[in-house]
Amino acid sequence: MIVAKEHIESLIPHRPPFVMIDNLLSVSPDRFETDFFVEENNVLVSDGFFQEGGLMENIAQTCAASFGYLDAQQGGDPKIGFIGAITRLEVFRLPEAHSRINTIVTPTHQLGNIFMVTGRNYLDGNLLLECEMKIVTN
Amino acid sequence: MYAKDVKMSLEEVIEETRDFLSEEFEVDRDLILPQNSLKDTLDLDSLDYVDLVVLIEENLNIKISGEDFKGIVTFEDFYGLVQQKLGL
Repeated sequence: MIVAKEHIESLIPHRPPFVMIDNLLSVSPDRFETDFFVEENNVLVSDGFFQEGGLMENIAQTCAASFGYLDAQQGGDPKIGFIGAITRLEVFRLPEAHSRINTIVTPTHQLGNIFMVTGRNYLDGNLLLECEMKIVTN
Repeated sequence: MYAKDVKMSLEEVIEETRDFLSEEFEVDRDLILPQNSLKDTLDLDSLDYVDLVVLIEENLNIKISGEDFKGIVTFEDFYGLVQQKLGL
């Protein structure tokens, strides 16, 4: 683990109750990984399951934290990023509340301040959701 | 037949490019003419340029950066860039 839950808000602009990542587990320019324990009272839990929107937000926040970490490594301030588009979305299953999910993001292309990434959420090694996401940074 | 598999002529690359651009961006293939604007014809916004980069990489096996797009206005300009990248 490289950034623990207690310090994750130094890398992302999100604040409770909309923080959807816990620990930043690893970051390299071509692979980001976080984990997240889904509390029962999470605002994106419905009928006992963490919803698709939560999984996608988790991927976006994994990007935000990782880009922020990489920026900090180079002496810069974390940039604000936005989801520009989500494509090739496939949902396989939703995790129940009280689950700890892992998320792996692979940046695939960059054009200026637009990054295309592939994001995948896992529960116990089983794929929950995957998508391509375009992240625009300021 | 992709450029990455067999060395194609520029004419073949252009026809191939017209095919995948018209399909992906849902544009009449006949509008993809050398003198026409790449941006206007394909109705590209800034996010679409990333899709264009991905398409070019997947179909022609060449990498294009943001810098490469500077000065690219028409399809003719674009084919010139592709020609240069492919060494045709």
